[in-house]
Amino acid sequence: MVATETKVTEATPTSKAASKKLRDRNQILLARLGWRFTTPSLLVVGLVTIFPISFSVILSLSNVTLSGNGFSLGGFTFNNFSILIHSSEWRYALAFTIFYTIVSVLVEVILGTMIALLMERLSGGRGPMMALLLLPWSIITVISAELWQYIFQGSYGVMQQIFSAVGLGKPVFLGSPTPAIISMMIADIWKTTPFVAVIVLAGLVMLPGDVFEAAAVDGCSGWVMFWKITFPLLRPTIAIAVLFRILQAFGIFDLPFVLTGGGPGTSTTSLAILGYKAMFQNLQFGPGSAVAVSATGLVLIGCLSFLKVFKSQVNSGE
Amino acid sequence: MATINLENIKKIYPNGYEAVHDISLSIAEGEFMVLVGPSGCGKTTLLRMVAGLEDISHGSLKIGEKVVNEVSPKDRDIAMVFQNYALYPHMTVAENIGFALKLKKLPKEEIGNKVRAAAELLGLTEWLDRKPRELSGGQRQRVAMGRAIVREPSVLLMDEPLSNLDAKLRVKMRSEVLKIQRQLGVATMYVTHDQTEAMTMGDRVAVLNSGNLLQCDTPQNLYDYPIDQFVASFIGSPAINLYQAELTQGAKGLILAGELIDLPDSVLVSHPILESYASKQITVGIRPEDLSLADELETNAVGAVVEIVEALGSELIVHFTIKANSITVEGAIEEAETIMESKGAGVARIEPRAIVKAGDNVRLKPNSTAFHFFDSVTGIAIY
Ligand SMILES: Nc1ncnc2c1ncn2[C@@H]1O[C@H](COP(=O)(O)OP(=O)(O)OP(=O)(O)O)[C@@H](O)[C@H]1O
Ligand SMILES: [Mg+2]
Repeated sequence: MVATETKVTEATPTSKAASKKLRDRNQILLARLGWRFTTPSLLVVGLVTIFPISFSVILSLSNVTLSGNGFSLGGFTFNNFSILIHSSEWRYALAFTIFYTIVSVLVEVILGTMIALLMERLSGGRGPMMALLLLPWSIITVISAELWQYIFQGSYGVMQQIFSAVGLGKPVFLGSPTPAIISMMIADIWKTTPFVAVIVLAGLVMLPGDVFEAAAVDGCSGWVMFWKITFPLLRPTIAIAVLFRILQAFGIFDLPFVLTGGGPGTSTTSLAILGYKAMFQNLQFGPGSAVAVSATGLVLIGCLSFLKVFKSQVNSGE
Repeated sequence: MATINLENIKKIYPNGYEAVHDISLSIAEGEFMVLVGPSGCGKTTLLRMVAGLEDISHGSLKIGEKVVNEVSPKDRDIAMVFQNYALYPHMTVAENIGFALKLKKLPKEEIGNKVRAAAELLGLTEWLDRKPRELSGGQRQRVAMGRAIVREPSVLLMDEPLSNLDAKLRVKMRSEVLKIQRQLGVATMYVTHDQTEAMTMGDRVAVLNSGNLLQCDTPQNLYDYPIDQFVASFIGSPAINLYQAELTQGAKGLILAGELIDLPDSVLVSHPILESYASKQITVGIRPEDLSLADELETNAVGAVVEIVEALGSELIVHFTIKANSITVEGAIEEAETIMESKGAGVARIEPRAIVKAGDNVRLKPNSTAFHFFDSVTGIAIY
């Protein structure tokens, strides 16, 4: 009896250890194989994202000097960033980008949610409506920016015709700062509201139907239903849509580039436009990269803190 | 407190499917009415119409004295427990339970008191600050109950509230639900597809099949006087044995599996219409407990081959076959229960210490005073 017992207790650990060893070896082999498969794509990713990002960081922290045959990197410096902080152009671009991001994302989320709620009510014909709705989103920004430029154009634009037809005179849209900013926001809202609507709609149809029925039996309807049930349940979805939109809006480049060229003056110059101008028009590689790096850093901090605040909501989505 | 009155209720879904055909039913104050029937027979549809979550296509629904066909769910003064509980995931247990009261704009203090009382009753006091996802299935079920009872509704509706629980908890919750319903004294409609649940809980049980109300009566009456083959098969577990048989001797004898079984006079007294079936084919129903083992030479018994013996300790469930055509009613018996599909299959419940094993040839003696008779064409019971 005793003998067998001791035998058993001896046998188990050794066999366990042996099988563990075998498993470990298998895992190592599998891991090696995995590396072999992923190396090509890692190389591509490294080439097109990691390299440019690191290079921008290096540029932004270097004394870059231009000469006849390209540029050369001098020593390490914070100079580029201190130039930014003391530049009114950068501070304006930062303020404008933040303002533009907040206003357009806010409007898009409110409008998009409303559209999604309407779409959800639609029992038949949701497919065609969805296609129609997604049209603005599917048009390349450069093209849609061109279209909006036609619409807001100063002498033959449709918008001006409409305004004068209803007796509001002939306002200038793209030629003066505030209307230009508003026009740019309208163009952006027109294009990206569908994106928000589709994300929110996807979240909406995933919500458990019986919870709404329970709420109806409990005495909810209309706005009360929306604020007490629908919105809290949708919060994780909306948070994700907002996150996507912040990331996109903060780096906006193509829309102002085509619509207003960053003007009039610098009124619609976003951080991305400013960085582009510094880099490729004025060939200030150091400060230009500093603009890009600072913008990336800021949006990263912004999104991370947003995530932190909304983490509980994102997690509570069941 | 109120009564529920369904008059000629029909439901035709937008796709044209008629899920409920012309059902009339009334539930008294404080009555526990169970709706039972196989999957897809329209139980949920009926309940949802009473709740106001589904339009009533035809007929009238009264809660108390008021016709409520066009009244929205929130104004019907009903509470409903959903099959999947449908708790509000973003609210704590206390908020879930108190939500309806909050919507009624009751003072905070009163809400708190009522929620605590309900939690006390359901043993949820410890969990009041938790979110639903942090609870077990049984606890969620109780929260759903709490949410329904805290409002003191005039009608309580429950759609298979116990079906997600494990067998043990389900049995325990049956009596808890019943206890609470008694305390509230509220007219209750309770949906289940489990006939045991229906029998143990209902004051009355309404048996539905494919959108029709077949019979509504007390559990005992359903068991003793089923209106047709379907009800007879659906109610009782193991299910009733149905065989083709022939009446002889002016309905004083029955030929089953080639053997004559005398029918005592009392049978003809309690089933006067049986006489008109003399010398005709009929369907005979024998409950498993109405069969016992007989000696080899005994008359009024049939020969059977034992197929499977399930020893439950308190009794033996003997699956056998006899030389007669057995009749199975579609939808009435759960798949799991029909162990054998073979011709002439049947089940007997016999005393635990009898010596039988699979393969044995035995004789089974039916209790002829407890026979059920059905028209072999229509399946309607003959009394
Ligand atoms: N929205 C609907 N549109 C069309 N037909 C439906 C709809 N809802 C249910 N049905 C049909 O109505 C019939 C009854 O459905 P119901 O949900 O009431 O069944 P049930 O008795 O509750 O079944 P179960 O026990 O499986 O829950 C089914 O045949 C079902 O297919
Ligand atoms: Mg159902």
